[in-house]
Amino acid sequence: MQAALPPPQLQVARTPSWAHYSIKPSPFFDHALAVASSANYGIIGNGRLHLLHTRPQLHVDKIFETQDGLYDVAWSELHEFQLASASGDGSVKLWDTNLKDLPIRAWHEHTRETMSLDWSNLEKDRFLSSSWDGSIRVWTPDRPHSLTALPAHAACVYQASWSPHTPALLASVSADGTLKLFDLRSPFSALPSTPAPPTPKNSASWAPPPVPLAPPTMSVVAHAGEVLTLDWNKYRPMVLATGGVDRAIKVWDARNMSRPAEEGAPLLGHEYAVRRVAWSPHRADLLASASYDMTARVWQTGPNGGVLRMIHDQHTEFVAGCAWSLFEEGVLATCAWDGRVHTFRV
Amino acid sequence: MDRIKQLAGHLSSSKGRDALLRNGPDDVVIVFARRSPLTKSRKGGFKDTNSSELLTSMFKATIEHSGVDPKLIQDICVGTVLPKGPTYEARSAALAAGIPQEVPIQTINRFCSSGLMAVANIANAIRAGQIDIGLAVGVESMSANPDEGAHRLSDDIMNHPIARDNIQPMGWTSENVAADFNVTRERMDAFAAASFQRAERAQALGYFDKEIVPLEGFAKDPTTGERKRIIVSRDDGIRPGTTAEGLGKIRPAFPQWGHGRTTGGNASQITDGAAAVLLMTRRRAEQLGVPILAKFVTMSVVGLAPRIMGIGPAYAIPNVLAATGLSKDDVDLFEINEAFASMAVYCVQKLGLDHEKVNVNGGAIALGHPLDTHPRAYSSRPLRATGARQIATGLAELERRDKKILVTSMCVGTGMGAAAVFVRE
Repeated sequence: MQAALPPPQLQVARTPSWAHYSIKPSPFFDHALAVASSANYGIIGNGRLHLLHTRPQLHVDKIFETQDGLYDVAWSELHEFQLASASGDGSVKLWDTNLKDLPIRAWHEHTRETMSLDWSNLEKDRFLSSSWDGSIRVWTPDRPHSLTALPAHAACVYQASWSPHTPALLASVSADGTLKLFDLRSPFSALPSTPAPPTPKNSASWAPPPVPLAPPTMSVVAHAGEVLTLDWNKYRPMVLATGGVDRAIKVWDARNMSRPAEEGAPLLGHEYAVRRVAWSPHRADLLASASYDMTARVWQTGPNGGVLRMIHDQHTEFVAGCAWSLFEEGVLATCAWDGRVHTFRV
Repeated sequence: MDRIKQLAGHLSSSKGRDALLRNGPDDVVIVFARRSPLTKSRKGGFKDTNSSELLTSMFKATIEHSGVDPKLIQDICVGTVLPKGPTYEARSAALAAGIPQEVPIQTINRFCSSGLMAVANIANAIRAGQIDIGLAVGVESMSANPDEGAHRLSDDIMNHPIARDNIQPMGWTSENVAADFNVTRERMDAFAAASFQRAERAQALGYFDKEIVPLEGFAKDPTTGERKRIIVSRDDGIRPGTTAEGLGKIRPAFPQWGHGRTTGGNASQITDGAAAVLLMTRRRAEQLGVPILAKFVTMSVVGLAPRIMGIGPAYAIPNVLAATGLSKDDVDLFEINEAFASMAVYCVQKLGLDHEKVNVNGGAIALGHPLDTHPRAYSSRPLRATGARQIATGLAELERRDKKILVTSMCVGTGMGAAAVFVRE
């Protein structure tokens, strides 16, 4: 599955009036990208799942409409045509790219907005979702209910992600300012895994879960303010990056969380909150970030902090998502609230 | 709508109630906040105890009750106004109390807010990374060092239309507030009576036992003149059974100014007392294993016309709320110094505060804070321990209520106001 030729320069796909929240490349097809999008900047209104092709030119290939804004998307690691979406109404839906209009499965257990999704590449039959309701839920396509529901934080869980090296280990970041690690093999009091009637949309503030918070394997106050994003390094086990409202990106070694990793002097430069960080799938020291400052940046991390490698400033609104091509080294895709998806070579 | 709020939160810096409730290792936290009993000047428990003795006792009590080795303290700041040689007193008292000579000290003076300034000063040094652990103290003996007002000021000052107001007594400023903003005698007396009744109730229920640390003082035998050591453990300014009707019978203290609505019953008392607040980074507190009481968030100070200095909190409180992104409804408890009922009534009304959240265990009218109600007195400024005292009182009450956010505030003689925000653990 080699690409014929790398895209030499910036390619742009336009979807007017849709604010893009997240972009993910297919792990099976080198030409396929999925983008989670919302009308009205995700504040109110519908959502749309955009499927893009990179060849011959970057273009929108297919769309799925949803009732509420979409905040994240995750491709199945098991089935090349399936992918899941995270919706503002708290639902999680599974789609088949060969079908039209309707999802092949929908779950509704989160009581607030579903904020992120991540499919495990070690246990390929399962994926997780994180929510504003403070919980993380683990799903498998075959089951009508979540496999487990982890009461993880007492505030919005912006993102949760499986370790790419250790099964059942996951990391989460939250509005409470913390980065936490959970091992699902450790005991905890799970939330009920039954469909909870969601609270009326945007009605009340967050209410504490009915069970105590699960004890994390590790918890650290990662940023001064809300932590919006994290990613596991693909080569160095237990190394993570986080980004937050404090505009900083930090690199952590989870084996010594009392302080950021040695190379983790905060990567400073973004002028507003950091919305997404993504480690390169090809290099252990390359990190991309997307920010409310309308830029995406690429950093090379090293023993003395990090070096800013490039700034992508072609977007005209908040850049919410960024993802590296899994097949072509050095190709980055970004998506923003300006209704544009960019792919370019770093 | 929550999503808009969340988005706004991403774009603003870390502000608002939720941001304040988050803990970080670099937080400046309070691990000890206690006060001495507040006693009537020239009549009460500390009437024969001078300011250096009061301060020595406060230091000793801090060492004994804070559970922190005094060797670890890296700086001390003492807020005090009236002593002739405040830094001589402070440094010597610290040494005599058993604080090692390696621990430095300074004094600070912003009149009525000096205790709070000491806290802010230490907190800022911690935040700047200059020190990890510091002690803030407020102390004043109005018995030993009566306030004689400003000394003679220059002709240029006395010819300046605003500057010359600073030689006026505080009572004049109270009458100006009452007259300018039409605060009636009835409302002032009602507020003052509530202060007495709340303090009386709190004392009866033992609420103050949690914040008071009994201090050693001296008592002079009136016949032999012999001084002996005593322990003072109780506020003695509270007048049980005070009612608004009773206060209404007291004759005006300043009939010569305004409408003469200020009386000895609706103004703060002249008082002796001290308070101490020990601050450090959360990281250090966790290392030492000392319980954390609260987090110091920030402090604002503003200036205004000296002739209505009492309404300083009406400016300082909105300032500190804006700085922290809080609304008044986010605040669980206010401690606003009652220099006079006139300014307290005005501030509560102007800021639209719920009186049930303000000075819920009484304030300076009942507990103490100095105004010499005798017309002979030229001028008087509130108790310097007040800023630190309010922290001890407010945090203890938040604990009882299981609430989080405290705002303390006071007016400052010569036309200023200060306010600070604290978050209970």
